[in-house]
Amino acid sequence: MTELLTTVAILFIVAGPFLLVANRFDLPTVPLLILAGIVGGLFVDEGQTLELAQFGIALLVFTFGVGINLSAVRTVLGDSELAAVAQILVVGSLGLGFGVLVGVPVEEAVYLGIAVALSSTIVGVALFQTEIRRNLVRGRLAESIQLVQDLTAIVILLVLGAGTLEADPIATQLGYGLTLLVMAALVNHYLFTLIGRLAGDSDELMIISVISILVVFIGAAELAGVSIVVGAFAAGLAVRHDPVEYLGLFNGLTSVRDFFVAVFFTTIGALIVLPFVEMGMTASVEKLLLVAGLVVLTAVVKPIVTTAILLYKGYEARSATLTSLSIDQVSEFALIIAIEALILGFLTQDVFDVIILAAAVTMITSSLSQRYNEQIYRAVADRGLLAGKHRKIDESSRVPEDLADHVIIAGYGRQGRQLVETCELFDQPYVVVENDPTEFETVRRECDAFVFGDAMERYTWKKANVEDARVILSTIDSDPVSRRLLSLGFDAEIILRTGDVSTALDLLEAGALYVTVQDLLASERLVQYLQALFDDETTPDALRERLRAEVEQYSAVRRQ
Amino acid sequence: MVTEVALTTDLAIILLSATVAGFLARQTGQPTIIAYIITGVVLGPAALGIVEVTELTETLSELGLAFLLFLLGIKMRIDEISHVLAPIVKISIPQMALVAIAGVGISLALGFGTLEALIIGLAVMYSSTAVVIKMLTDKDEATSLHGKIDVGVLLVQDIVVVILLAVLAAGRPDDVAEVATTLVVVLVLVALLTVAAIGASKYVLPPVFRRVADNKDVFFLVALSWAFLFVFVSDEINLFLSPFGIEAYLSIEMGAFLAGLALAQLPYSSELKDRVNPLTDLFVMVFFVSVALSLDADELLFYAEEAVIAAVVLMVAKFLIFFFLINWQGFSLETTFLGSIGMLQISEFGIIVGVAAFQGDFIDVEVLGFLTLLALLTMSVSVYFMEFNHQLFERLEPTLSRWDTGDEFQGGKKEYKDHAVVIGYDELTRNALSLLDQEYEDVVVIDRRTDHIETLQENGYDAIYGDFRNSIIRKESALKKADFVLSSSVQTEVNKALLGEVSDDATVFVEAKTADDAQKLYDRGAHCVILSAQFTAERLAEYLEAYLDNREVFDQAIEADIQLIERNEPFPDLAERLRGGLDD
Repeated sequence: MTELLTTVAILFIVAGPFLLVANRFDLPTVPLLILAGIVGGLFVDEGQTLELAQFGIALLVFTFGVGINLSAVRTVLGDSELAAVAQILVVGSLGLGFGVLVGVPVEEAVYLGIAVALSSTIVGVALFQTEIRRNLVRGRLAESIQLVQDLTAIVILLVLGAGTLEADPIATQLGYGLTLLVMAALVNHYLFTLIGRLAGDSDELMIISVISILVVFIGAAELAGVSIVVGAFAAGLAVRHDPVEYLGLFNGLTSVRDFFVAVFFTTIGALIVLPFVEMGMTASVEKLLLVAGLVVLTAVVKPIVTTAILLYKGYEARSATLTSLSIDQVSEFALIIAIEALILGFLTQDVFDVIILAAAVTMITSSLSQRYNEQIYRAVADRGLLAGKHRKIDESSRVPEDLADHVIIAGYGRQGRQLVETCELFDQPYVVVENDPTEFETVRRECDAFVFGDAMERYTWKKANVEDARVILSTIDSDPVSRRLLSLGFDAEIILRTGDVSTALDLLEAGALYVTVQDLLASERLVQYLQALFDDETTPDALRERLRAEVEQYSAVRRQ
Repeated sequence: MVTEVALTTDLAIILLSATVAGFLARQTGQPTIIAYIITGVVLGPAALGIVEVTELTETLSELGLAFLLFLLGIKMRIDEISHVLAPIVKISIPQMALVAIAGVGISLALGFGTLEALIIGLAVMYSSTAVVIKMLTDKDEATSLHGKIDVGVLLVQDIVVVILLAVLAAGRPDDVAEVATTLVVVLVLVALLTVAAIGASKYVLPPVFRRVADNKDVFFLVALSWAFLFVFVSDEINLFLSPFGIEAYLSIEMGAFLAGLALAQLPYSSELKDRVNPLTDLFVMVFFVSVALSLDADELLFYAEEAVIAAVVLMVAKFLIFFFLINWQGFSLETTFLGSIGMLQISEFGIIVGVAAFQGDFIDVEVLGFLTLLALLTMSVSVYFMEFNHQLFERLEPTLSRWDTGDEFQGGKKEYKDHAVVIGYDELTRNALSLLDQEYEDVVVIDRRTDHIETLQENGYDAIYGDFRNSIIRKESALKKADFVLSSSVQTEVNKALLGEVSDDATVFVEAKTADDAQKLYDRGAHCVILSAQFTAERLAEYLEAYLDNREVFDQAIEADIQLIERNEPFPDLAERLRGGLDD
């Protein structure tokens, strides 16, 4: 066995128990891999796995490129999320300022700024998966902030390759970067389809050719003197494709990536010069103070600044707070930037260590702040720290004075719309409660009465005149909202929504009149169709024709 | 302090060349392994001499080997091979002995020394797992009876390889007694490790993996960690033995294999297979390329003539031996013929044994060249035999028919046909399961949660743990042969892939998020697209209508739903209760 393989083996063996801990306590895997690396680093020669770790970096960025949704980038860049840019600038400057203040040279303090400003897609998105899937405002918001940050990271890496802040070399770098992107587009358009055709159904050939493309792009980047990360990103764009045709390929790439990324994160951990263990007392204390500063900036100051910016942009308090709490960690891209800078000699070992340690700590604290986000929000809101919100709700709501015996419809999505239509059909007075600013215009145009506020707030309901309401229909698939509604003790009957039967049962017991479980209702119809098929009342083809016509009609109506 | 690292050009050249060669091989119908080995020959000192073995390539090729054996271990589900185990053992053991004797005989006849002949004999008795399984899968014959026999025999051969490698790793012995001691120590160690692995698979791994199986990233990495633990222990076995004054060696292949074996007995092995596969493909490629990287042309072609003769003789001998033995076990003529024709080649393990023997100083590098060439030649030829196996059988049937025993070996794992496949066990699909169960003999459910799998199995459903995106999982559920498919995935890519793979006659129900997605799925042939959100919206509006208009109807309707929620059964029979209520 080569020495290198022994090292890899040791790192993986040490990682095993750490991963079990991550799984047991629902923590993200990245910080625990770093911790495993720190422990493993005591037994191995850390420099060794650096080359394999480079593959990890390349594959990480590569898969980011593969998965990037170009139309989403366009909407994000063109649309609302200037907030993200503001956030990066403000928080980044704070990080830089902090660094300079405690005596870190400006050139290095820049990296502290970067570390504080960027948040982790892997950790953040993983923690926020449910919110994104349910298409909640904060899920979408967090996702687009992450996207802007990741793209910023790529640009920083490109500039970093120039090794200076002079305009000319940077322009050259940007030129090379652009050339790589053009190359990627060409490969994507001509070569990739050809490869797909030639490979036939062989996943093996697809995987090795895609890895080859990656290697070629990295080689090209190296030749041009650009960071290999930029090459890897371009390579990712080069093989972007509808995953349907190449399910095997994209699955296979995940395995390859996971392996090398694990090597990367453990290596990063191993690279740390451990305070107290591997260095002197005073130096250790200084380093840890710096780490503490960075952690405070990332885990406390960053969410505060972000919340403020989002509030200013018109998002309501809860969405703003919860979004901000989901991006309160250091990004894996910041780690990549740090390690590249370390390799290029722009960063000293001490500052590098500080960034890595802060990353590991904030990734863990972030999963905690995520778990207790509602409580944190409540604590902040109850102390009136998010003041002025009532005025905002008043300004942007329209509720007739004499509204009574009305239906309150919470959430103006697909279900909300249908409910509003029903009410209008029956001349039943209603009021819509919604908190998504992007839906605001639609709500104002289409609804007679609405309150623009958060369903978690008592004031929102007061504004909707809940005292005189007949029934509350919540279409918001969120446990905290449902439970809060039940706990507010309104007289009106309450119909809620949830995703699974056992929660539904809890909510019914807690006093809901009825709880819709989407899949349960859908399954009733599914069973009807099946029954019809098996009883030979219809044929599969006849069923298809009928249902297809229904969908077409539905879409046609929606379009009008 | 860290220094500047660039990705090595050597590895880049290997990757690129192997990819190009792989495509050439694919276009000409050759197995990719051949392409990789030839790439190594061309890049290495034998021809161009532009690539050297570096620590990185060596590490990756070692990883390739370890992963190949790990994967093999994962495939060893004892309950799946047990029914053909007896005939397979009866076929494989005599087969290996006979082929080894033939190998030794031909080597002696060709003028090799006794020890060399012995090593050659030991190296040629295996058929190529990579080639045979690849061809069987490509021809979709892996689960046919002859396919099962071949796979079974290959597995037995692999166990023997693993033990042999362990013995060879100990290096050249001084006398027979030392060989015996080494063999005993190795066997004891192997037995101990096996007991550890099997014990772990019974007591330690189930609770551990039950916890992590639901977490995709952790699951894969913990499995790798487990594999590396065995690899490390095998490699560093002396660290543990030296206090007892014993010295011995175990191959990392052995460790990897046992680690896989332990995991194979868990219900999550199929999923794992699919995750380890791509890594294996990638690293094994580096391995095959680097096989020839250290061989000069002189070394490879030193025994060229002998290799051609040995190739012809051994392939004939292998065919006859296999034919006789499979026939003896009472399989039909066709099965016997197809089973034999696939196993003619010399395995990549032959080369690995050669490498180990060379490193252990048993043979010269030229003999290794001879083995490599022999494997190359027989693999290339046998691929064509396998490609046209049915045509060959039709040609030869009249001549062979006097061997026909008229029996057909029966039994085996259930093969699905005209069954129902359900993807995802959730609130949507579980209500349909009992209905499907009444209609279909077999209902196979694919799900990613261990607790779901347990519930399903307890209730008599066939449940497969894994991600539908993985081809092995799709194959295991025999999706192509299904008569009915229900998918509760709302990911259009999954459903599109599903619609591309099912047979034309199958009825397909899928779920979608938006009307646009639904239309796309209808275009691709779905018979019913469940739009849960849209339907729920309509349903909720109906409820509101009833609430506003006729409270009594509303109360009845929700009462029925609430009962369903309160019962919260794993397999409700919804059809029974759908009479009456809001719909009437």
